[in-house]
Amino acid sequence: MYVRSKRYPLGKTFRPGTLRALFVLLYVLYPAGCILQIVPAPDNLERPLAVVGLLLVAASLLIFALLAGTSLQRQSQEQPSRLDERELAERNRATYVAYVILAGSVMLGLVYMMIAKDLEAGRGIHLWLPKTSDHWNGLFWGFVLVSLTLPGAVMAWRSRAPEGETNE
Amino acid sequence: MSRKELAERVDVNPQTIGYLERGDYAPSVELALKLAGVFKAPVEALFSLKPFAPLGRTLKELRG
Repeated sequence: MYVRSKRYPLGKTFRPGTLRALFVLLYVLYPAGCILQIVPAPDNLERPLAVVGLLLVAASLLIFALLAGTSLQRQSQEQPSRLDERELAERNRATYVAYVILAGSVMLGLVYMMIAKDLEAGRGIHLWLPKTSDHWNGLFWGFVLVSLTLPGAVMAWRSRAPEGETNE
Repeated sequence: MSRKELAERVDVNPQTIGYLERGDYAPSVELALKLAGVFKAPVEALFSLKPFAPLGRTLKELRG
């Protein structure tokens, strides 16, 4: 997902350090917000924790909205015919790395769920497993957020600071 | 000539010109030919395994 603006048709450019910080915040705030909303808490803390969790998720969505207008996000989501050869080459490399990370994470998640299910059935050991629709919603939208932004994040980690070419 | 003007003439993002200037990206033959055309220089002037000498000296040598 990329938001094209009239003012910055090629997307806003930031220093790689700023972009990396935004991606880290996005990947930390969203799961933290989801966890705070689903963890069992004492009665008097349940509502405040849920509100804080919701605020963290909202903050992560704001960061996502900010990233959606950047040149990196344009590079990772734009139609190929609108990118030049360097942008396409970088995107192809980043997409490959993002695919490996995402596929590896899904695989680890599935292995964890399999083991947790077996332990619960065989030995009565209860590890956390997604059960309610809230749990699955959190996982699904987290997956959507990561899959939309991971190629951009990979490029942010690989790029060097272009002097005099940022909008900061 | 500014980066933006050059980028428009060879149909790339202005940032790509910055990458080329810093040696962070090696252009394709097609882009190199376009750049050589803009500067009216031979395409060999754009590629080197060694650090480049100043452009003025290189052009002088190539043009004899």
